[in-house]
Amino acid sequence: MKKLFKTALAATLSLALAISLAACTSGGRTEQPASPAASSTDSSNAAPDTSINANGFAADATIGVSLPWLGTQNWQEASDMFKNQLETAGFKAIIQAADNKVPQQQSQIESMIENGAKVIVVGPIDGSQLGTVLEKAKDAGIAVIGYDRLLENTTGVDGVVQFGSIETGRLQGQALLDGLAKVKGAGPYNIELFGGGPADPNAPNFFKGAMEILQPKIDDGALTVVSGQTDFTQCATLDWDNAKAQSRMDSILSGFYSDKEIHGVLSPNDGIARAIITASENAGQQIPVVSGLDAENESVEWVWSGRQYSTVAKPTDVLVAKTIEIIKSLQGGNGMPATDVKANNGKIDVNIYELPPVVVTKDNAKEIFANDPARMELLK
Amino acid sequence: MRAIKKVLGGDLKQYAMIVVLCSLIIIFNIASGGKMVTPSNFQNLLSGNAYVLILAIGMLMVIVVGHIDLAVGSVAGFVGMIVAISARDFNLPWGAAVLIGLAAGVIIGAWQGFFLAKLGIPGFITTLGGMMIFRGAVIWISKSISVPAPPELKFFGAGYLPEWGPAWTGLNNSTLLLGIIAFAAFIWMEGNGSRRKAKLTGQRGEVWPSAIKIMLIGAVIGYATYLFGSGRPGTSFPVPGLILVILIIVYHTITERTPFGRHIYAVGGNKGAAALSGVNVKKVYFLTMLNMSLLAALAGIMFIGRSTAAGPSDGTSWEMDAISAVFIGGAAVSGGIGTVRATMIGGLVMAVLNNGLMLLGVGADRTQVIKGLVLLAAVAFDVYNKTQGKSSIISRLFQKKETAAETK
Amino acid sequence: MEADYILQMRNITKTFNGIKALDDVCLDVKRGDIHSICGENGAGKSTLMKVLSGVYPHGSYEGKIIYQGKEAVFKDIKESENAGIVIIHQELTMIPELSVTENIFMGNEVVKNCLIDWEAQRHRVTELLVSMGLNVSPDTQIKHLGVGQQQLVEIAKALSKNVKLLILDEPTSALNEEDSANLLRLIKGLKERGITGIMISHKLNEIAAISDAVTVIRDGRVIETYPVVAGQVDEDRIIRSMVGRSIENRYPEHVSNPKEVMFEVQNWRVEDPRIPGRLICKDVSFNVRAGEVVGFAGLMGAGRTELMRSLFGKNYGIYQSGAISIKGEKVKLNSVEAAIRAGLAYVSEDRKNLGLNLLDSIAKTTVSANLRAVLRNGLIDPALEYKVAEEYRKALGTKAASVDAGVSTLSGGNQQKVVLAKWLFPEPDVLILDEPTRGIDVGAKFEIYSLIHKFADQGKAVLLVSSELPELLGMSDRIYALFEGAITGMLSRGEYTQELLMRLMTSTSKAEGGEKK
Repeated sequence: MKKLFKTALAATLSLALAISLAACTSGGRTEQPASPAASSTDSSNAAPDTSINANGFAADATIGVSLPWLGTQNWQEASDMFKNQLETAGFKAIIQAADNKVPQQQSQIESMIENGAKVIVVGPIDGSQLGTVLEKAKDAGIAVIGYDRLLENTTGVDGVVQFGSIETGRLQGQALLDGLAKVKGAGPYNIELFGGGPADPNAPNFFKGAMEILQPKIDDGALTVVSGQTDFTQCATLDWDNAKAQSRMDSILSGFYSDKEIHGVLSPNDGIARAIITASENAGQQIPVVSGLDAENESVEWVWSGRQYSTVAKPTDVLVAKTIEIIKSLQGGNGMPATDVKANNGKIDVNIYELPPVVVTKDNAKEIFANDPARMELLK
Repeated sequence: MRAIKKVLGGDLKQYAMIVVLCSLIIIFNIASGGKMVTPSNFQNLLSGNAYVLILAIGMLMVIVVGHIDLAVGSVAGFVGMIVAISARDFNLPWGAAVLIGLAAGVIIGAWQGFFLAKLGIPGFITTLGGMMIFRGAVIWISKSISVPAPPELKFFGAGYLPEWGPAWTGLNNSTLLLGIIAFAAFIWMEGNGSRRKAKLTGQRGEVWPSAIKIMLIGAVIGYATYLFGSGRPGTSFPVPGLILVILIIVYHTITERTPFGRHIYAVGGNKGAAALSGVNVKKVYFLTMLNMSLLAALAGIMFIGRSTAAGPSDGTSWEMDAISAVFIGGAAVSGGIGTVRATMIGGLVMAVLNNGLMLLGVGADRTQVIKGLVLLAAVAFDVYNKTQGKSSIISRLFQKKETAAETK
Repeated sequence: MEADYILQMRNITKTFNGIKALDDVCLDVKRGDIHSICGENGAGKSTLMKVLSGVYPHGSYEGKIIYQGKEAVFKDIKESENAGIVIIHQELTMIPELSVTENIFMGNEVVKNCLIDWEAQRHRVTELLVSMGLNVSPDTQIKHLGVGQQQLVEIAKALSKNVKLLILDEPTSALNEEDSANLLRLIKGLKERGITGIMISHKLNEIAAISDAVTVIRDGRVIETYPVVAGQVDEDRIIRSMVGRSIENRYPEHVSNPKEVMFEVQNWRVEDPRIPGRLICKDVSFNVRAGEVVGFAGLMGAGRTELMRSLFGKNYGIYQSGAISIKGEKVKLNSVEAAIRAGLAYVSEDRKNLGLNLLDSIAKTTVSANLRAVLRNGLIDPALEYKVAEEYRKALGTKAASVDAGVSTLSGGNQQKVVLAKWLFPEPDVLILDEPTRGIDVGAKFEIYSLIHKFADQGKAVLLVSSELPELLGMSDRIYALFEGAITGMLSRGEYTQELLMRLMTSTSKAEGGEKK
């Protein structure tokens, strides 16, 4: 008993130690002892972007990237690309993901500040819950770039790089309409609507954009939302959780479509799209026309095989490239690049760098992924 | 060895975790090139973990009494959301919103206590239900959308004490004052305790252990004062940290020095014997659960202050962090054993691990694995000690020598 | 040997930590007999049965067991069961949530094609139940049966295993009279099926009713064995054998000085919390004077502890009626707290489970029943606590390194002194001591006895519950005897003898010697 215990104890401890050591060596250890406190000036009320980094910073400075989690393909890709491209550009990169926990992300950003990062790129879990730490970053003279999602409710943000979320929504709505006309013959059509995670500020915008296209058709009777659930809060999918979307689809199908056919579903992303398609198949329905977003591998295959009608590619490489372009501009002392688009985040107007998304259907998939060998593999 | 024991007091085992904590801090400080022990990092450490440590205080009492509360995260999230919504939608001043939040905590605690104490439903199940109920409720009332918190709350969740007085101290004077008060209070208590013992029992303890103890504690308080006070101008010992310290003192006193505290340990240690000693077991259960939810409410309010907004998934899995802190602090799963002090050390071990690994750039994935292993190791260490007959390895080494000396 | 013995136990000796629980015991049981074994609590009856059934495996005792003509070497209870020896314990071992069938075949399922053959099982159970005259469905859940019926199901379970030797350990201790009579009839009926029975009991009327032979065990030795004609048992002879030892000078000299009545209980009636309708206290009335030590005698299951706990703030059982007076004033004690405040203290028989929190130190335990007295400005004063604990440690002579030591590190006797200190600190008027010397060595016992006298001399009313008759006789000024929840008599010093007391405790016909209450 005693011996067993000792062995077990030793084993656990050494495992912990081993992982810590592995972690130490693989983690980005920097030799910069300069504490941010030392370099900062008393700048509690300084304007957000003009004074920061006016003279740029060292070409091998530390850049922090805080991502919400690595649970979906686009975030994993972003993590890899940031690491490669930042290091190629000569920066020291700290890339961390927060396991979808807000307090974890808060602490991560704080540790990046401690590590002397000059720029912190934040893909927030909840864009409105990082106020304090981002202001701390601002006070330490660090530029904060929002990645993919708006950073709300804080003055500590210098710009946000994202795909135009309303535009993305419009594209999804249009793709749904086109698909219905192409696949399901003449209308009127029965459709259902799904929204994304309500904590993500993009999700209502996707929905809003899509409804700009769909609402007129609903009003004139070309489209019928059989369940009657057309409000964003009714359609939203908490945490973008596919399982929740699937169970909502299951209950809609059993509740409203026992004697009807479903023709189309607006889906805010690919995971939810696949959940919807699976639910429809399980319910014995013909596969409806379903929109998507993110061009995940699985969905690209499904689009290619015709199960999912469309997806919208928000090529992560473009988003990462734009972010790195901004970082380089800051490094050179040129400040944040100019942009026309501003959005109010509840506290200040934030520079928005919008990128155009692209609709992918079976017809144009080969052209769009021509430069993406990994996805071209899927189109066989 | 006996000298060390005299200075530190009877049970040396409680210092094992302090040694672990200090080693972790030192190791991480070296590995990160001095980024661990900086004013701003320690301020972050306290601000960012105060809410978990506050939950852990309540959780300790629940675990000592022999139950567990799985609902604290949900309750914290729910109360945070209530405060944010009542401030935004009903235009209540922040103070009123906070009071409503704390009242909600009390009501929720009474609800949980009712099921546990009056209906006799085990705490695990009562609070498993509560976990679902309040998680659902927070999503429901928020419609899954984050709600901005009253900006004044930031002071409690992430604020600093004011700057005042002469600049020649080179420190934040509020922090300096706190340090001086803490040191003075410690000397007074140490002196008062031994004076009273001498008066009642006629035993006059030796002076030197007290003197060394005062010097040691003085050095620790002094260094902490310097560390927290010498940060960027405008920063100090963080307000959430101060709230935490006050709560630690209050709850340390409650658990160690009040009849209610004794009753918690009595019920957790042997329910039947406690009942036969005149302890109202149901009342103890009820109050423990009530207190837990009140602290969860406070934690939730402080968290939205720091986050500047209340989110629908706030509080997810916080109960697990609190429970880990309690068990790393040496509490027994079966109840009856555990102290507020040790729990705080346990919570800080977890916090320092988390913080240190982040400073080294380790991802959340591996951090989780390491934290899990540390939890297992800590509890295994504890169980190992118990199978070896209650006392720890260290204290047993001393005991052998001492009993040998005494029998002579 | 012309008689046909199914079992012969030869020179069985079993020691625990150097103490002989069984000393050279011989037991011969004839095939087809019902053989009763009786003796005081702790005489060694159960140990003997555990040796027989393999709970204590072969090799852990000395001596030989010859069963069915061959030496038996059982390594565990499974082996003895396979040989046809089945024990039915005092505490029922069935699972309340499962059905009669499931319980009967638990661990012994009829399996066909890797699956339980429910039909076959149910069929066999129905047969069994019918043959026993038990009219319940095989699918009834055990929890819906009365204790008597459960006991019968236990026996049915034994029968299903093809039992040859059935051992019943105080089978009627939890049953009411009707169920007891039923059960005894059934046990008698088993003889006709060729089953031999060993019944452990100390109810002389039961022994008289059904047994063919009696063995009396005392202090781990067989005192005598003799055949009886059913229905005619010499109770005097059994009682003499059970108690027959002199009270040596193990009790300190003491002359008590009883004053006014301190504690009086009238018509105290309490229901069993587990078995609705069964009374554990049947209109109990008694009184105790200040300065007096009053003993409470009764065999296992007589309800002594239950009575005391129900008096102590209704800590046990469901109160039905009755009144308590302290110093002539009626008091209502609805909680333990109220009882303590009214001046009662109860030292439990079960030190480890009900008396102590083994995680606490001596100091914390000493003050735990009266925390109010160590408060200073609303907070517990550790220095005062230390002082109090130290005073009691010295007063009671507790041997410990310091009062900060954990109670778990103490010996049984010293633990008991800490418990006594805990109950003396509230300064009670009425001190209830339930088996205060259980599990304590002889030297420590003497110290505890002296302390009990001291408490009485301080003017406290002391209620002493004990299973050891010599202890009661040696310590008490008066003794009440309890049998099945009712007081069967009261004897004063000078009047009582062990025989008389045992008669009251077993409620035998010749109990008229005592004043019947």
